[in-house]
Amino acid sequence: MAKARNACLLKLEGVSKTYRGSSTKAVDNLNLEVRSGEIFGFLGPNGAGKTTTIKMIVGLLMPDNGRILVNGHDIVKDPVSAKKSIGFVPDEPNLYNKLTGLEYLNLVADIYGVSTAERTRRINDLLSMFGLTSEVSDVIQSYSHGMKQKLALTGALLHNPPLFILDEPMVGLDPRSSRLFKDLMRKHCDQGYAVFFSTHILEVAERLCDRVGIIDKGRLIACGSLDELRKLSCETDESLEDIFLELTLPEGAE
Amino acid sequence: MRHRLMSLILAQLNMNFAISHSRYYYIEKRQRLWEGVLIVVSILMGAAVLSFGVFKLADAFYSSAAVIRQEALTLITGILAAQFLMLILGVALVISVFYFSSDLPTLIPLPLKPWEVLASKFAIILANEYLGLAVFIIPIFVAYGMRADIGLISYVLSSIIVFLALPVIPVAIASILSVILMRIIGFTKRKDMLTTIGGFLLVALIIGVQFYMQTKLPARGNEQEFMMQLLSQANSVVTLVGKQFPPGIWATLAISDAGTFKGFMNLGLFLSVSAISLVVFLMVGNRFFYQGVVFGFEASVPKRDISDVKLAEPQFPERTSLVALAVTEIKLFSRTPVFVLNGFIGFLMFPIMFVVLLLMGNDPEVAGLWESLVVMPEFHSIGALIVGAYFFVLTAFSGIPFSPFSREGKANIWFLRSQPVSGSTAAMGKALGAEIMILLGSIPGVGVFQYIARLPVSSLVIGFYLGIVSSFALCIWGVLLDMARPMLNWTDQQKAIKSNLNILISMLISTAVLFLLGFLVYTLFKKGYSGLVAQVTSGAVVTLLLASGLRVLRTVGDKLWRSIEL
Ligand SMILES: Nc1ncnc2c1ncn2[C@@H]1O[C@H](COP(=O)(O)OP(=O)(O)O)[C@@H](O)[C@H]1O
Ligand SMILES: [Mg+2]
Repeated sequence: MAKARNACLLKLEGVSKTYRGSSTKAVDNLNLEVRSGEIFGFLGPNGAGKTTTIKMIVGLLMPDNGRILVNGHDIVKDPVSAKKSIGFVPDEPNLYNKLTGLEYLNLVADIYGVSTAERTRRINDLLSMFGLTSEVSDVIQSYSHGMKQKLALTGALLHNPPLFILDEPMVGLDPRSSRLFKDLMRKHCDQGYAVFFSTHILEVAERLCDRVGIIDKGRLIACGSLDELRKLSCETDESLEDIFLELTLPEGAE
Repeated sequence: MRHRLMSLILAQLNMNFAISHSRYYYIEKRQRLWEGVLIVVSILMGAAVLSFGVFKLADAFYSSAAVIRQEALTLITGILAAQFLMLILGVALVISVFYFSSDLPTLIPLPLKPWEVLASKFAIILANEYLGLAVFIIPIFVAYGMRADIGLISYVLSSIIVFLALPVIPVAIASILSVILMRIIGFTKRKDMLTTIGGFLLVALIIGVQFYMQTKLPARGNEQEFMMQLLSQANSVVTLVGKQFPPGIWATLAISDAGTFKGFMNLGLFLSVSAISLVVFLMVGNRFFYQGVVFGFEASVPKRDISDVKLAEPQFPERTSLVALAVTEIKLFSRTPVFVLNGFIGFLMFPIMFVVLLLMGNDPEVAGLWESLVVMPEFHSIGALIVGAYFFVLTAFSGIPFSPFSREGKANIWFLRSQPVSGSTAAMGKALGAEIMILLGSIPGVGVFQYIARLPVSSLVIGFYLGIVSSFALCIWGVLLDMARPMLNWTDQQKAIKSNLNILISMLISTAVLFLLGFLVYTLFKKGYSGLVAQVTSGAVVTLLLASGLRVLRTVGDKLWRSIEL
């Protein structure tokens, strides 16, 4: 079910969110688009609103205003169809500790309606890629943080989702896994799908992303390809780090 | 400077009752203040109604006991029942609080002695027991005090002291047994499973010992003479009844004879034995606690050898989302010792009590009476109603369907919420999982009952219909309530399954429904209607309950599901 190039897989229109009991907007009038074949990096300092945005995209939080379309489906009005197009890995991969890895993967496959042949093939492929095959029959309680993350990644990719969403994915992975993972994201996009991930590790974003968006205090302050961002800041040889630091200056530090 | 044990206990109490958290949440940030007030007011009202019921009951009991000059039976009955329940339910509580608290990884590295950690946890358990005791025991003490001819000041003083000491012995006994059990399990693999099984064996052992003491007790020669002699003396039956748990006698006499030398001696005896049991527990705990607890941090199921994993051609059968969710719910529940110990205890306690009743009814006279009762057609229709009620009571008592989303907690609920399942499917999966566990758990109790009642198949079928429909209705409504306001912010599993308001509320409502239904059936019988009418009426009511639950689930399920925000 590869999508035509340039189809819009994710669209945020004027999305805002204020947490209950808080006076400031965690996300403020956010507009952005992610198209097929694209790796989109969502950058911002701590507390900028990255996780809040991602939670709204995957349907864990309801936006106060605006609209979120996933593969053409509104996440608020038609959550089940929208979620079928998403594979999601949160920043803290808390999985059901009392299930075995295999039981978890089968649960996910059942929920997404992945056929027996397809799930067998994909589970085997993904597990052997991550080197998790020998542990998959153990209970998740016995996994390390990185192993849990790999299992969560495997689960999120079982149904070959058009939109792959990750919150700070590089944090728990060792160098080899993170390399594997980067290749995987690329391959996923080459199928005509899209990846949306948040990070504050700028080298990763610089090397991997086709486009980046920079969010600060809930507002999108820059969005585009690296070249476009460089034009924005006048100096053509700046690294992403320079641009980032320039754009996200703390208040009063001119 | 405060003593460190005192600080530790105060900190634990603060966390347990979420004092700082509530103050911050409700008062400083003024969030949902009305909800906090509403909850507190409704709990106080519920407690007041319950207390008043207990008071009325105790008062009536006193009047009957006074006829045979055995007024103190009022006290000992309440005290024994309270101690017995604290002992049986204490095992699950103690294992959960001592071994599965989330603050253990923080406490254990601190320079504290094991007994200090245990003492602080023990204080929490006592504090929780006082809340329940207050509703149950204080009305009995008041009812007795108002009627008995006794000095007010000494009565009030000794009552307060006895009240405070009442949970110590049962909880200490449950604690000593549990600490030893957990030390033994520490040597083994498969710890989760053994913790559960061991916990239940302990409960069975406790019930068994109580029963043994009770049957063993009256060494009476001539029965009639013995009874006459007993009744000629005021409050003599207390000593007889209390033999199965002597601290109950001392506690009773300390109150009933308050202000006299006898009362004073018994108070002293009760307090000393309480203190001794506490010290013994702390000594045993100091010796074994840490060795048992450390395993809580290890995975509880042995890792497989790499050699026996053959993933080359695995079979992954497809299931619908609903079936997959129900199966997962059962696995998640049954593999968590704290949930199983608290949720399944009724599955075991009720059948054991039936068996005890069965053995006690060994009297040929009683047996003959029973034989003639069992063949009566009226008994068959009542039997069907009893079977139905058993399922219902078991469902309500277990609390399993009242906390399924709460049990997921903040850590895990994101998963289901981010999956493409509708709210009604999610709720249905949880309700189905709960219902299956309850149906399996009801087999022993229904089996024992059928063994003694020998109901014809038709009555059994009716009983099953009433039971399954009513318990599934309870599951649906309970899941709905938990979906509307899940308690996700717990740190200890014990909180999710026990100190969860959703469970308290659902249990209160279930009790009310059961009483109303019982009253309805009673009225029908009294008016001379046949058993069939009673069955059809209650069948219609429970079917209506289920249908309306399903209807509400379909209409508001998705909305409630969406409102769970992380
Ligand atoms: N559950 C919550 N309740 C209230 N405020 C929150 C909650 N979660 C996040 N916030 C606030 O919202 C803002 C954005 O947070 P977040 O989206 O987690 O940032 P990021 O992921 O970019 O580090 C922060 O100011 C944070 O304090
Ligand atoms: Mg974040």
